[in-house]
Amino acid sequence: MSAIAAAASQLKRDGWCVVPDVLPPAETRTALDRLWSCAAESERRGMPTFLPVLDPNASNVRVFFLLEFDALFRQLIRHPLAVDLVQSLLGETFLISNFTANIARPGSKSMGLRSDQSLVVPEPWVQPWALNIIWCLTDVTFENGATLFIPVSHRWTTRAEMPRDADTLLRPFEAKAGSIIAMDGRVWHTSGANITKDQDRALLFGYYTKPFLRPQVNWNAALSPETRASLDGRMREWLGLDISANTGEAVQLRYLEDQFGPREGVR
Amino acid sequence: MTVAQERDVRGAPIAVPPPTTDMTQGLRNIAEYGLTIVPNVLSGDSLKRARDALYRAADSDRARSREQKFGLDYAHDDTNRRVWNVLSRDPVFEDLAFHDIAVAYVKAMLGWPALLGNISANITGPGGGEMVLHADQIFIPEPWPAEPQGMNVAWCLDDFTEENGATRFVPGSHRLNRAPGPADSEADTVPMEAEAGSIVVFESRVWHKTGHNRTQAEQRAGVFAWYTRPIYRTQENWFLSLRPEVRQFASEEALILLGYKTAGLGLVNGASPA
Repeated sequence: MSAIAAAASQLKRDGWCVVPDVLPPAETRTALDRLWSCAAESERRGMPTFLPVLDPNASNVRVFFLLEFDALFRQLIRHPLAVDLVQSLLGETFLISNFTANIARPGSKSMGLRSDQSLVVPEPWVQPWALNIIWCLTDVTFENGATLFIPVSHRWTTRAEMPRDADTLLRPFEAKAGSIIAMDGRVWHTSGANITKDQDRALLFGYYTKPFLRPQVNWNAALSPETRASLDGRMREWLGLDISANTGEAVQLRYLEDQFGPREGVR
Repeated sequence: MTVAQERDVRGAPIAVPPPTTDMTQGLRNIAEYGLTIVPNVLSGDSLKRARDALYRAADSDRARSREQKFGLDYAHDDTNRRVWNVLSRDPVFEDLAFHDIAVAYVKAMLGWPALLGNISANITGPGGGEMVLHADQIFIPEPWPAEPQGMNVAWCLDDFTEENGATRFVPGSHRLNRAPGPADSEADTVPMEAEAGSIVVFESRVWHKTGHNRTQAEQRAGVFAWYTRPIYRTQENWFLSLRPEVRQFASEEALILLGYKTAGLGLVNGASPA
């Protein structure tokens, strides 16, 4: 089995996988530099990078509009390996719901425990309807705020199945810079706290969903005409920019007569 | 004349509830049957304006060869017609999509905020065939959540009769909480007969289909406004296709239903688009 097939199979079974060395060190450093430029550009345009509704203090730097700011991030979101993992879990058709960054600087704290799917869609959570492809632009360790997750929690189909001691089951996603971490939308997790004195932990979160779910970002309204013009048909489909919309399942059904055969004197 | 007593999925006599303007009763009807009829929502001039606007749009599409087929329709005739995105065709359809009674049912059945997924019309013509029996939330993989994820408000712009292709329902089928399969194709259906100007409110799990139009010369027009909980992608991409004035003059409620006023999903720069 190839390394990628093994990763996809682990993602399906365990709800997560880590693929190391996806970006070489030089490209990882470039991406991190460009991320900080995006953070500065974000602030310059009046979009704050600290959101009190998400984080308890300004040690978390959030960047929300990576796809608009830099072609490098428009390439990462459609990286063939990322797309392979997405399609292995969600099926061939999917939407890019969001692409954001969270740089946890020393002193940043944990968010609440949740699964991405539980925040949005009703129970039961039987199938994966979403996943995160997390790009590690720095080494990620427990100390610098690695995302903490609960193994096998993607099998909880309702809140009632969550054990009372869920918080004690958390363990960190540790990975080297240049890795990606794929995480099923049903995995219960929280951001870690950065308890180091001087290390940043920079992660990009590519969030992908089933095509019938509403994206977190309204790409039609959000992307500039210049950015839209730079996208090919496949990206337009994955961003939901065109008219395909939410009719995919219905149009695959067949006509009554084709389905059941012609009938005499039907009603 | 005796009519064979047809049975619903639980073996109870099949029927649709009588029309009511009492919303409490209407919601009870929806819980039990999956649908309710509200009479006289449009009448006189308001009905005529909506009806004229719809037939004008349909005739215009036919004259310009702009008609689009729909996968769930009977494919082998050209008598049934669909008009998509009527909201962009005439302001009278804003009156329908954002009508107080429709929005009150949306809030009661789906909660708030909710989205308008689509508003399109279906005109059956003489000889028009039946649709595939379906539930409107079939795009959601099963097992389905315990509550309906969407609902339709069907505006009858002509009388809906058994003969002219009234939408046919399997009352109570929503309580099975699953899509109909091939084995259900023979389920007994009942035509949802209603006078022009009525609305039929039905939840997204109840099985239904367009009826067969057996008349020689009658058309029957219905406008179907489809609403969902706010987590689902809309069928119509409003940000691509909406006539700009609709947004410009929209009420707060309409902006929410179209996704311009939002929280959590459908954001721009982390904030609501409008």
